[in-house]
Amino acid sequence: MRNDYVRKEVCKRGRIFRANFEAHSNPSLSVGHVSRVLRTPPPPTSVGLWKTQRCEHRPAPFPPDDYKSHPALRSRTLRQSKMADTMATAGAGSSGTRSGGKQSTNPADNYHLARRRTLQVVVSSLLTEAGFESAEKASVETLTEMLQSYISEIGRSAKSYCEHTARTQPTLSDIVVTLVEMGFNVDTLPAYAKRSQRMVITAPPVTNQPVTPKALTAGQNRPHPPHIPSHFPEFPDPHTYIKTPTYREPVSDYQVLREKAASQRRDVERALTRFMAKTGETQSLFKDDVSTFPLIAARPFTIPYLTALLPSELEMQQMEETDSSEQDEQTDTENLPLHISTDDSGAEKENTSVLQQNSSLTGSRNGEESLIDNPYLRPVKKPKIRRKKSLS
Amino acid sequence: MPPTGLEPARMNRKKGDKGFESPRPYKLTHQVVCINNINFQRKSVVGFVELTIFPTVANLNRIKLNSKQCRIYRVRINDLEAAFIYNDPTLEVCHNESKQRNLNYFSNAYAAAVSAVDPDAGNGELCIKVPSELWKHVDELKVLKIHINFSLDQPKGGLHFVVPSVEGSMAERGAHVFSCGYQNSTRFWFPCVDSYSELCTWKLEFTVDAAMVAVSNGDLVETVYTHDMRKKTFHYMLTIPTAASNIALAIGPFEILVDPYMHEVTHFCLPQLLPLLKHTTSYLHEVFEFYEEILTCRYPYSCFKTVFIDEAYVEVAAYASMSIFSTNLLHSAMIIDETPLTRRCLAQSLAQQFFGCFISRMSWSDEWVLKGISGYIYGLWMKKTFGVNEYRHWIKEELDKIVAYELKTGGVLLHPIFGGGKEKDNPASHLYFSIKHPHTLSWEYYTMFQCKAHLVMRLIENRISMEFMLQVFNKLLSLASTASSQKFQSHMWSQMLVSTFGFLKSISNVSGKDIQPLIKQWVDQSGVVKFYGSFAFNRKRNVLELEIKQDYTSPGTQKYVGPLKVTVQELDGSFNHTLQIEENSLKHDIPCHSKSRRNKKKKIPLMNGEEVDMDLSAMDADSPLLWIRIDPDMSVLRKVEFEQADFMWQYQLRYERDVVAQQESILALEKFPTPASRLALTDILEQEQCFYRVRMSACFCLAKIANSMVSTWTGPPAMKSLFTRMFCCKTCPNIVKTNNFMSFQSYFLQKTMPVAMALLRDVHNLCPKEVLTFILDLIKYNDNRKNKFSDNYYRAEMIDALANSVTPAVSVNNEVRTLDNLNPDVRLILEEITRFLNMEKLLPSYRHTITVSCLRAIRVLQKNGHVPSDPTLFKSYAEYGHFVDIRIAALEAVVDYTKVDRSYEELQWLLNMIQNDPVPYVRHKILHMLTKNPPFTKNMESPLCNEALVDQLWKLMNSGTSHDWRLRCGAVDLYFTLFGLSRPSCLPLPELGLVLNLKEKKAVLNPTIIPEVITGNQETAINPSGHAQLVGFQNPFSSSQDEEEIDMDTVHDSQAFISHHLNMLERPSTPGIHLGVFNLEGKEQSPLEMSMHPVATAPLSVFSKESTSSKHSDHHHHHHHEHKKKKKKHKHKHKHKHKHESKEKDKEPFTFSSPASGRSIRSPSLSD
Repeated sequence: MRNDYVRKEVCKRGRIFRANFEAHSNPSLSVGHVSRVLRTPPPPTSVGLWKTQRCEHRPAPFPPDDYKSHPALRSRTLRQSKMADTMATAGAGSSGTRSGGKQSTNPADNYHLARRRTLQVVVSSLLTEAGFESAEKASVETLTEMLQSYISEIGRSAKSYCEHTARTQPTLSDIVVTLVEMGFNVDTLPAYAKRSQRMVITAPPVTNQPVTPKALTAGQNRPHPPHIPSHFPEFPDPHTYIKTPTYREPVSDYQVLREKAASQRRDVERALTRFMAKTGETQSLFKDDVSTFPLIAARPFTIPYLTALLPSELEMQQMEETDSSEQDEQTDTENLPLHISTDDSGAEKENTSVLQQNSSLTGSRNGEESLIDNPYLRPVKKPKIRRKKSLS
Repeated sequence: MPPTGLEPARMNRKKGDKGFESPRPYKLTHQVVCINNINFQRKSVVGFVELTIFPTVANLNRIKLNSKQCRIYRVRINDLEAAFIYNDPTLEVCHNESKQRNLNYFSNAYAAAVSAVDPDAGNGELCIKVPSELWKHVDELKVLKIHINFSLDQPKGGLHFVVPSVEGSMAERGAHVFSCGYQNSTRFWFPCVDSYSELCTWKLEFTVDAAMVAVSNGDLVETVYTHDMRKKTFHYMLTIPTAASNIALAIGPFEILVDPYMHEVTHFCLPQLLPLLKHTTSYLHEVFEFYEEILTCRYPYSCFKTVFIDEAYVEVAAYASMSIFSTNLLHSAMIIDETPLTRRCLAQSLAQQFFGCFISRMSWSDEWVLKGISGYIYGLWMKKTFGVNEYRHWIKEELDKIVAYELKTGGVLLHPIFGGGKEKDNPASHLYFSIKHPHTLSWEYYTMFQCKAHLVMRLIENRISMEFMLQVFNKLLSLASTASSQKFQSHMWSQMLVSTFGFLKSISNVSGKDIQPLIKQWVDQSGVVKFYGSFAFNRKRNVLELEIKQDYTSPGTQKYVGPLKVTVQELDGSFNHTLQIEENSLKHDIPCHSKSRRNKKKKIPLMNGEEVDMDLSAMDADSPLLWIRIDPDMSVLRKVEFEQADFMWQYQLRYERDVVAQQESILALEKFPTPASRLALTDILEQEQCFYRVRMSACFCLAKIANSMVSTWTGPPAMKSLFTRMFCCKTCPNIVKTNNFMSFQSYFLQKTMPVAMALLRDVHNLCPKEVLTFILDLIKYNDNRKNKFSDNYYRAEMIDALANSVTPAVSVNNEVRTLDNLNPDVRLILEEITRFLNMEKLLPSYRHTITVSCLRAIRVLQKNGHVPSDPTLFKSYAEYGHFVDIRIAALEAVVDYTKVDRSYEELQWLLNMIQNDPVPYVRHKILHMLTKNPPFTKNMESPLCNEALVDQLWKLMNSGTSHDWRLRCGAVDLYFTLFGLSRPSCLPLPELGLVLNLKEKKAVLNPTIIPEVITGNQETAINPSGHAQLVGFQNPFSSSQDEEEIDMDTVHDSQAFISHHLNMLERPSTPGIHLGVFNLEGKEQSPLEMSMHPVATAPLSVFSKESTSSKHSDHHHHHHHEHKKKKKKHKHKHKHKHKHESKEKDKEPFTFSSPASGRSIRSPSLSD
């Protein structure tokens, strides 16, 4: 998965993915999928993820019908196996969260076994990829367990994130947040997924091609991106993710727009200031009426110049938005000598308070400072020890 | 021994070619200042100074230094304990007089007090006796090292502590301290020779908290931790000889920025402001380059530091190799309006680095040269940076300012020569203050003085050409830099001092021109020229008959004789004529070049060579004259009132390319409210090539014309359609475009036009409804989201516009203002103001410009009777802790309220703030505002004018403001405005003084006689040139009866000790000198008179004075406590006093850890 996919698609398509999920939870559709899952082990990650989520949410068995409809989840397989790999090597095991899977009924048991198997295959292939020629069963088992735990944890945590935002279906951004939260550098994923020496797990034997109901096919399904194995489920029908914007006749009348923006802002401001005035101390221009023109009471600041001089956050934001090109230019010119100097001075100031570092840093500092010789950047000398340091 | 600088000014000028002669009997070569403890909590400073001096006379036995406020523990000379006396007559100017309340008397006494300690006359507050063991050493003129331990506790001037009351360590709180003051004020924070003419090299050491930075003059040699590693010491060396007055200090948790273009330049600002600092100072290197280029001289110091601090005394203060700025000058890239102002400040301070810091002055009367040169080169920088238009506009503005001031208050004299010291010769007798000293000047006078100085420099440039001018500067600088690298022994250092004589000599050497008449006119004389011009065209002779009259009898004017340039724009071109203004000739015939004729489509050549088409239908068919200008280059300091026809002014406005001419014609057109004027102004407004300031003033003129033409005005309100065309959307003309301030010219116009429009009035003298709706719409549709710049100034101006639209309320039998009878328009305005003011609390604007405008608008509403007049709101905004601009705006409203409502309570509140506010600038500003907008004036009956107020103000200027020269002069200004020169009319007649006072009114110039007679003091009668200081003095040795009469309460406790030391101080060989030293004016005292006085007399007079003052820092003397207890305690006799003192000392824990305090007990001062 490409980096920009993570960033942009999530934002743009989040809603559609969700719609997608919904469409596929249609029970009439799920039958085919269930049968397929029973026979062929599905890609392990998405299943694991799915499993844990669902188990917490709804203990009854259910068909893992739509894991494949979610390209984001699907494509995570390799990433997560890699992660499991790294986790394993780091020795940071996590307690399994498989308990949900155990209490399931017969098909689920089957399913569980299949998953286990696939995970093992994944672990083995990763090991091979890492240069192992053989591995003891116990260690493979351990790694599998760890992988599963890790994936389960991702699922559980993503679920929490999603529920935190009052949704029931995790979106890609939940996963990303989860990964970040778990200390994983998401940015490294795309490169890892596309690594050249990666092993592709052979496609699971497919006995019955799931039949997509004709009624719902429309247009051509999107082909897989090159880094997704071809045996993975296809993209869902285009209608599930193709945007068909619906809009009312846009209000293009400039005057009305400005009018609207202005009165909206004015209303917000008035409401806000009135609220502030109501909740705090006020002053009034009329002795007889304190409510018609309430003025928020003047409160002295302890450091008045800071609020007066520093641009407000709103302004800062505005400045960034309005003119990023110019900003860049500016920082470009500033970059050359200025940054060094300020960094130095900043470091220097810290440095002065931390005495211990002082002497050790002096040496390395000298190199940088040969650029700028300013007495205020020089290190503070220790008392008595008056050795002459050549500073420039 | 040479006269101890009796009239240094005169002397220097005469002997100028011989070089500088120090008024002191010794020469200072080096000074060490070491401040080893700074306590922000207590606001105290402990340290020592060490001065290295070489005696220049054999019998030197006393050394006078300047020191105020400092508590001096111990003085040693070459490691020998030395006795010393501390006396500061300026602490309390007039003593022991209860009823004398006239300003004339005060001013003389104050001037005398200041000269009594004037370092330029060799005087000082601190007098140190050279121990007799060293006399021989001194006679051989060998070096003396004077070591003085001192401390400062809660200084009220000189050093300003800013300690925000928040949690955290001092560094986290952003606490800082910096030196400040007006002119030579260094004596407020360490003992020194506080003169601009006494140069020496410096070693400065400051031990501060490890999280703080101490910034001072010269090179930072090293920074060393103290042994406990909790503090560090900054060691500075200043090898270029520098006057003590140019020494400065700033300590705080500063963020450090090394200038990216010049690594030897370092900028400092308070925490969190670094991004602003980066932006603000990013321009500085260009200023450096500019000055170095035009002066063909490198920046004299090896480094430069800028420090931006809060609660600044002045916006810009230049010291040797460093400048202290107000932190409020910092701004981000989004701020348009502040940027040029800040850059100006930076450039100004840098100009003063060359002239003012590096090159110092010989005496006060040479100050104008330094201010003139620095102002002049700053002007050159302006011309280069902002363009010729801006420069000429600025010159015109400055010229108008000085002309207005001089015509109002009398002349400003650049180079005062004090002949003979007789009060009758006082060159500035029209003023209520002495101009002999910088410290007696009104602040406004000093501002105008600087303004005039640079204008005169420009006049000199006009005469000798800029090239020569810069050569002169270069010569001064290169002489100085040669001298600065010399050792002290070479006696070259005085080359670094500039004098009027030396400067003029340089000019004549370099240019070979005689500028003496010019100097005589503008430098040695005060006043400006007032011309009245009118003309007639003689058709037969084809001659322009110009009549130029002068008014030289009004105050502040002088007669001008000499050349005067007149420019005549005719049909055939522009022609310059130089007239000779002579004593009696008023008429001047100027032949015209072109025949009067209707030009047929012929272009008319202008002064700048441009040829333009003009519609000539408006002009007089007989005359070829388009317009006439008198002194177009502003080469005379003058005011011109010229009469010409309205169409001529209109032509001048449209076609003259000089912005000054355009401005003049706009001003003149106000008197011609005709459709033609309207058209001319509108055309200018639309013309984008036209200078934006001209367009801005055209807006206001147009508003005035529209109001005059109100009955015949056709079409929409003035400027409305223009504004709509320029700034509103094409499709919906009532909506303003979203802000885009990329073009500053149109930004300024956009800001100004609504403000001017709001001044429009309809036939009922109300602001037209259409205009108000228009402004309200501008506010409503204001949208800054897409703008690169902040719109805070723009929004503030919109509020100003709202305020401008307010007209007096129609009041029916003085009904009380309530919400119910609120005018609906006012309701709308109030709605906006309320919202803006409240939004400011949530999203504050830069420098709170919007709050400031809102407060002003509220005051306008109050004043016009729409809202109940009430100062409470303003008083809450005036509190300490608000941003200074807000405070000033709020205080201005309170001042205005005090005047309008004649409120004694508010006046008291203001006076209280003048005395107690933590920020010196605010205190100064209140006085200034009260002076500008006084609650009453001398000729006015007012319930506010009563005896208590007189006493209060008198006390304020007499003793309450001794820690700040500027503030004291401000108090004097206010006193003058309220009561005038003579005794305030509200006072009851004094029992004895009545007749004398009447007499005195005639002989205003020497009122000091009166108190002497009143007190009946014999001694002062003997010495008619006597000084206020002697008033009330009683010789303690004469009789016990006399002693009783001294207010023992205020007499210094260790008087006995002092008299003892005085006797010790006396060295028989040179009695004349010793007496002379203590003679306050130091002149005209014949040896005979001196011998008539007992030796101890004069000094003792000084002591009784000194001790009456609240601020006294002698040994171990805790003056604060004493001062507080003063009122409770009754009279003490000597012995009691001693007891009391020792008791008090026991009670009071020593607050300083300095060893000096401990040792002070053993110091000779206590030994007896």
